[in-house]
Amino acid sequence: MIKVKNLYHSYSNDDNYAVKDVSFEVTKGEIFGFLGPSGAGKSTTQNILTGLLELQKGEVSVAGYDIKKIIPKMFNKIGMSFEQSNVYSKLTAKENLEFYRKLFDVKTRNPDELLRLVGLKGKENKKTGDFSKGMKHRLTFARSMINNPELWFLDEPTTGLDPAIASEIKNIIKEQNDKGVTIFLTTHNMYIAEELCNRVAFIIDGEIKLIDSPKNLKLQYGDKLVEVEYIENGNLIQETFSTVIKSDKKKLQNLIGKHEIQTMHTKEATLEEIFIKVTGRRLV
Amino acid sequence: MLRRIISIFKRDLKVNLKDFISLYIFVIPVLFAIAINLFTPGINDTTINLALLEGENPEQVRYFKDFAKVELFGDIDNIKSRVKARDDIVAILPNQENYYIMSQGNEPKGVIEFAKILNSFYQLDIQIEDTNVEIKDFKRTIPPLKKQLVNTAILFISILGGMLIAINIVEEKVDNTISAINLTPTTRKTFILGKSIIGLLLAIFGSLVLIFITGFTDTNLIQLLMIVFVSTLLSLLVGFIQGLNNDDIMNAAGSIKLLFLPLIAGALAIELLADKWQKFFYWNPFYWAYKGNDAVLSKTGSWKEILFYSSMVLILSTVVYLFLAPKIRKGLE
Repeated sequence: MIKVKNLYHSYSNDDNYAVKDVSFEVTKGEIFGFLGPSGAGKSTTQNILTGLLELQKGEVSVAGYDIKKIIPKMFNKIGMSFEQSNVYSKLTAKENLEFYRKLFDVKTRNPDELLRLVGLKGKENKKTGDFSKGMKHRLTFARSMINNPELWFLDEPTTGLDPAIASEIKNIIKEQNDKGVTIFLTTHNMYIAEELCNRVAFIIDGEIKLIDSPKNLKLQYGDKLVEVEYIENGNLIQETFSTVIKSDKKKLQNLIGKHEIQTMHTKEATLEEIFIKVTGRRLV
Repeated sequence: MLRRIISIFKRDLKVNLKDFISLYIFVIPVLFAIAINLFTPGINDTTINLALLEGENPEQVRYFKDFAKVELFGDIDNIKSRVKARDDIVAILPNQENYYIMSQGNEPKGVIEFAKILNSFYQLDIQIEDTNVEIKDFKRTIPPLKKQLVNTAILFISILGGMLIAINIVEEKVDNTISAINLTPTTRKTFILGKSIIGLLLAIFGSLVLIFITGFTDTNLIQLLMIVFVSTLLSLLVGFIQGLNNDDIMNAAGSIKLLFLPLIAGALAIELLADKWQKFFYWNPFYWAYKGNDAVLSKTGSWKEILFYSSMVLILSTVVYLFLAPKIRKGLE
């Protein structure tokens, strides 16, 4: 669905690259996470993929279209939810969606249905200038689905949302992916990436440092240990066991049989820990 | 493409109808027309008004009616009140054997002189037949000042079209919606055309409203619309560039007002300066547009002349376009 080969981009048109030698592929139906701190080159890459920024050097194909020669009908196939909400503040939520749906050549979704989906039912006729930041963000998110995109770009889709709404948004993303929509997710939120993505790319200083599935990364970079808290003679005891060493595995089995277990955690590394390990930098 | 252009236009219209400044811009042509009608004299207002005593000298009244607008009053007090009114009227009143002229004091000198001469002609029994001058006219009843004001107002209205576009572009910028439009199959050309319609329609309908209210209905409307169309193109370009360069509606509108300078300069050059100075204004599209409008409003413009003036405006606007197009393109990215 997306093919990027040796992509470079410089805002100053010199060797000072914001993105350098970036190559990756996203297959159809995949949720691909693009992780990196602010200024790493995430937005630059995404803007080149969506045609918002001109391709300077490299080969990029999106939804079967060569980005060097973008043709308008490509945009019928893609959707984009911006990090900064961008809706017409003098129009109502419904008027915003009604306007955008007329700009596409493909079958579009019903604005009322989309507004209900993102929890804005009852606010259809309210001017978006009077919306809260979260409501505007949800409207921007809803708008990105209006043309039933095959390829969906999501830029920080849950940023600034309360946990309940963020959870709903994640469910919508999963549902869309189940329907076969390919998703390119740009975020610095490792939790959403870990939860949603089939594969993630770590980008820092304009370069991709690593691409793999969160599961493989955890196996590769996480410690194979289990941390257990249990009660013995009225005291809370904490111990760590290897999940590889035979004797530790036996001890753990005995412990589970004999004692009351309070907590038990595998010592998997989080994506953030892996990111720090790989790049030496934090995600924020 | 057409569907998208119409959608963009309808969106702009919807937003403009909700916005006070835009609504005000919509009604300005009507206000202009009313103001021109109120403050410029009609052709009848340039005739002389005389107040006379009713029944005092019916023969004199009949004589005066051939040369002036006569109002009759029953007594001197009523005449005094009438003469004190705001408009220009003088009374010719009997004084024993002779007549005297009563005026408010602020009437133009010509009005007093006219009354004096008319009274002398009456007393000398001079009739129209005694003159050897023949007057021919073209039945034009609109005074030149009104034509000049309507001409200038038409050009003002074309600038208002640009102002409206600037307001709409500033809104897109402030709401950051241009990037969202860029991710639809809407091309930049479609977007620009869609955004231009409202400015163009304001200029066209505003000019027509102005023409109808001010009484220039018998002019060649196709010629007029051609001049309005080409002169609006420049304002639209400036509207786009100012909209893209400003984040505030008032700043954008203020920057557009700079266009009033070449407009006024063009109009004043044509009306006040001698022929030898005219060439210094050939660079100014409004100069040619004013000339074109003048020819249309005076009903003296041939098609060849109108096409020449329109071409001059178009050529100069194209030069401006070539200069501004890269900036507009970049601004819409």
